[in-house]
Amino acid sequence: MIPFDFIYCRPDSLKEASDVYIQLRNEGKTAVYYAGGSEIITMCRSGSIRPDAVIDIKNIPECTVLKIDAQKLHIGAACTLNQIKESKFFPLLGLACGRIADHTNQCRISLGGNLCGTIIYRETSLPLMLSDADITLYGPEGQRTVPFLAVFNGRMQLKAGEFAVQVHIPDWALEARCAHIKRTANEKIDYPLVNVTALWKDGFMRAAFCGICSHPFRSGQIEAVLNDRSLSCDVRAEKVLGLLPEPPYGDVEGSGKYRAFILRNTLSSLLEDAENGKI
Amino acid sequence: MYKAIGKNIQRKEAWDKVTGKARYTDDLPETGILSARLLTSKYAHARILHIDISEALALNGVKSVLTGSDCPELFGPLVLDRPALARDVVRYAGEPVAMVVAKDEPTAEQAVRLIKVEYEQLPVILTPLQALADGAYLIHSKTNGYRKVSTDIYPEAGTNIASRYRMRKGDIKEAFDRCEFIVRQRFFLPPSDHLAMEVRTARAEISSEGTVLITTSSQSPYAVQNQISKAFLIPSGQIHVHVPFVGGGFGGKAPVTLEILAVLASRSVGGKAVRVTIPREQDMVSAPCRIGLEADIRIGANKEGIIQAMELTYFLDCGAYTDISPYMTKAIAVDCTGPYHVENLSCDALCVYTNHTYATSYRSFARESCTFCIERAMDMLARKCALDPLELRIKNAIRPGSLTPSQVLCTPSLTGDLTQCLNKVKLLSEWDGGNALTIKQDTVRAKGIACLWKTETPPTDAVSGALITFNPDGSVNLITGVVEMGSGGQTHLAQILAEKLRIDPKQVHVVMEVDTRAAPKHWKTVASMTEYMAGHAVVRASDDMIEQLRINGAQALGCPAEEIEVANGRVYSRKNPENFIAFKDIVHGYKAPDGSSIGEPVLGRGGFMLKGLTALDPQTGKGKTGPAWTLGAQVVEVEADLKTCTYRIISASTVMDVGRVINPESMRSMVAGGMSMGISMASREAFSYNSEGIPQAPNLRTYKLLHIGQEPDFRVSFVETPESESPYGVRSYSEHGIIGMAAALGNALSAAFGAEFTSLPLTPEKLWRVLSEENT
Repeated sequence: MIPFDFIYCRPDSLKEASDVYIQLRNEGKTAVYYAGGSEIITMCRSGSIRPDAVIDIKNIPECTVLKIDAQKLHIGAACTLNQIKESKFFPLLGLACGRIADHTNQCRISLGGNLCGTIIYRETSLPLMLSDADITLYGPEGQRTVPFLAVFNGRMQLKAGEFAVQVHIPDWALEARCAHIKRTANEKIDYPLVNVTALWKDGFMRAAFCGICSHPFRSGQIEAVLNDRSLSCDVRAEKVLGLLPEPPYGDVEGSGKYRAFILRNTLSSLLEDAENGKI
Repeated sequence: MYKAIGKNIQRKEAWDKVTGKARYTDDLPETGILSARLLTSKYAHARILHIDISEALALNGVKSVLTGSDCPELFGPLVLDRPALARDVVRYAGEPVAMVVAKDEPTAEQAVRLIKVEYEQLPVILTPLQALADGAYLIHSKTNGYRKVSTDIYPEAGTNIASRYRMRKGDIKEAFDRCEFIVRQRFFLPPSDHLAMEVRTARAEISSEGTVLITTSSQSPYAVQNQISKAFLIPSGQIHVHVPFVGGGFGGKAPVTLEILAVLASRSVGGKAVRVTIPREQDMVSAPCRIGLEADIRIGANKEGIIQAMELTYFLDCGAYTDISPYMTKAIAVDCTGPYHVENLSCDALCVYTNHTYATSYRSFARESCTFCIERAMDMLARKCALDPLELRIKNAIRPGSLTPSQVLCTPSLTGDLTQCLNKVKLLSEWDGGNALTIKQDTVRAKGIACLWKTETPPTDAVSGALITFNPDGSVNLITGVVEMGSGGQTHLAQILAEKLRIDPKQVHVVMEVDTRAAPKHWKTVASMTEYMAGHAVVRASDDMIEQLRINGAQALGCPAEEIEVANGRVYSRKNPENFIAFKDIVHGYKAPDGSSIGEPVLGRGGFMLKGLTALDPQTGKGKTGPAWTLGAQVVEVEADLKTCTYRIISASTVMDVGRVINPESMRSMVAGGMSMGISMASREAFSYNSEGIPQAPNLRTYKLLHIGQEPDFRVSFVETPESESPYGVRSYSEHGIIGMAAALGNALSAAFGAEFTSLPLTPEKLWRVLSEENT
């Protein structure tokens, strides 16, 4: 139960959405952009947020696009994880979407919500970090399209009132060799203890991670080690542990040491599979 | 030839449940009802310095705000040690501190968030051993200062011990001296939750002439009536309790909790109807949970592997309040050795206060916990003796002539046949000696075995009753105080009644809801005792009814009552069966062809009170707490990945001596349900607390249960050694599928990984931690 009333706005255009945000702010009200709502509902229920208004972006045409044109795949921020998975346009992103929550929630959770939310894993960001994706944002200062990595640093760096509209993925990435490995405490459907996502470009392995640290990341140093064929797979996996941007993350789902153990095993077998042509 | 017993009779409420038409306590649409919500403590142990309710009271729509000072009464089924709302001190994180009654649920919840409480933190005690340490802070300043409902509770002044039970047999010192093999091990089990699908809820209203009407999701409507009557000094006849379907109980709905708050809430608003609802997260941390347990187990055997002695100490973590935990401690004591022939025994079972959420009964009444310890130790002993774990158990199985820990003499009727269960589970599980088998690199399969047993520990004077009425079509209505919460007890009672009357079970209509003003008192729907207690009452009510039918029949047919038979919905003379009277024509008296009235309307009634049970002797533990035991053997098979420390459960087998299989499919599914719950509890469930005693992420995102699709191949089979004192020989069985699962899983994993796992839950991380500690 959400124990308070709130205003529901359903704008039809990007500008209307931004305008209503500004209007609400000027009235001293807090507003959140909304598409799927799974996280907003949970947080309102638990009392950790109490927005005066939600702005539903599902009726904005740009936010529901899911198409390929001119060498790019465009995905609207309000597209659900299940739509992305079933479109099969970007298999690696589809794999990520298919392992977040259960099917019912995959039909509700949006790409924008997964990227911009507060749950720390943001698993859809991993394929985007690896694929030279761009992202279009809209806000009170207008629209901008920038490299995804320019505004994603473990979490989205949005300006006040700004929201995600679309991501754009270059077509080379859609068919590229890739791997997605998610390890959980016990269940198939759960938060990741470790998620390792890899994409190869011109024979070079790119890798992004979440679960192992308190935020998703991609690291040039780690990728250099992963691609250093002079070292055995086990040694490379071990070395990666020393290059994490922060000590392994630990919580009730799994301690940091255990996550490190899983990451080493996962990387080691991923590298072996890659070298043996199994990926 | 049986007509109803032994048949696969579908549950009486099956269609209502699968179509979603069954109505539960908080399903009933109603207008004009107020809502109450709770503010709970954020600290595990703290003094309440000040509560400011002014902002909450000022909120539009708020009718009343209650705190501990509004309710001086203390509650508890055994020891009155628990306030309805914390007074002066909170003893666990999640303890109700204040309650808001408002026009609707959102308003009440908003108001709750406006209450300000000032606390002063106190030292936190999180394990029984911390609670027992010298100089430990006393969670209750006068442990033995509370009023006791029962005499066999033994709080120890100046300690955190809420009760202690001692079992003494033979001479353990002398016996250990002659042992060739001795196993000594400490075990640790954290508290976990029941997680019934239906969250607890209750509502109350007080009529103008003072009748308190309570509707609740409870396993114990008569205990609700009794405890509220005693606490609030309301005559019990003025308290009317109504229980619709209950969406799962597992023991967690046996205590009286929200009903008290609902009555307080209603009283505070002039008797208006109030519903108390709690979200799942509060149901997990505020409402009582499963016990934690620590145990020191010492088992000695001679060189043949015959057990000579056991020395056992069990420390139950009952949390902040006792609730029923002293009796769970007693229950562990009476079954402390597992189902084995043990002549020399010393066991102390202690019920210890901590700053955890308080505990209550959980499916199998603590046997799932003590069995883990004993049965893991049995496997360690088997390894020391170089014996097949199954053979070790057969060698030591309890048998006619053995004495139980409380010195009851075993007979086939009392304890059934464990050896036959073991032999049968050997075939059912394709037992292979309990050794790990490598199936590919880093992957092994292994099986683990555990025995189970359980007797009951009800009050020695517990009662049950049954009423039977007839419909004009000759079918019968069965009314008992048994709550239907998924265990199929009502259906089994219908089968017993159908068998007695020799009619089709479809002709028995069961009144599913319990209304304390209409149904005869039934102690509580707990301890798997429905078939035994209510079953006896149904048998007596049937006999009563048959007797009345005979009298009517004798008058109508003009022959002696002794010649009258009652079967197949007919009343007739044995000498002339063709000349019968159908039930419909005689159950409300008989109208002769000439219009004259003959006989009387038939109403069946039967009562039953437990007999022959005793309290335990405080020094030796001698005594009999329950009518009989149910024994069995269980096997779990795992496939383990030695490199990643992960595993999956391939199969789980149970063979149980249930006395008589009165409904094969319902009993099989009930046992499999217990096995599933046991696997879930053992493999993944625990409340995780931080060092301050705050539960970490108590919600179903993080606290995972076994779910559909993860279940192994469940194999269930039965042995039938009738219990002579029970209706149709059936034993208690409905909780028991859970009992040995944690131990069997622990034994399988210990065999697979070659390490001794001594705590729960057996998560991959836990296995990894044990294995990596062993390697360093």
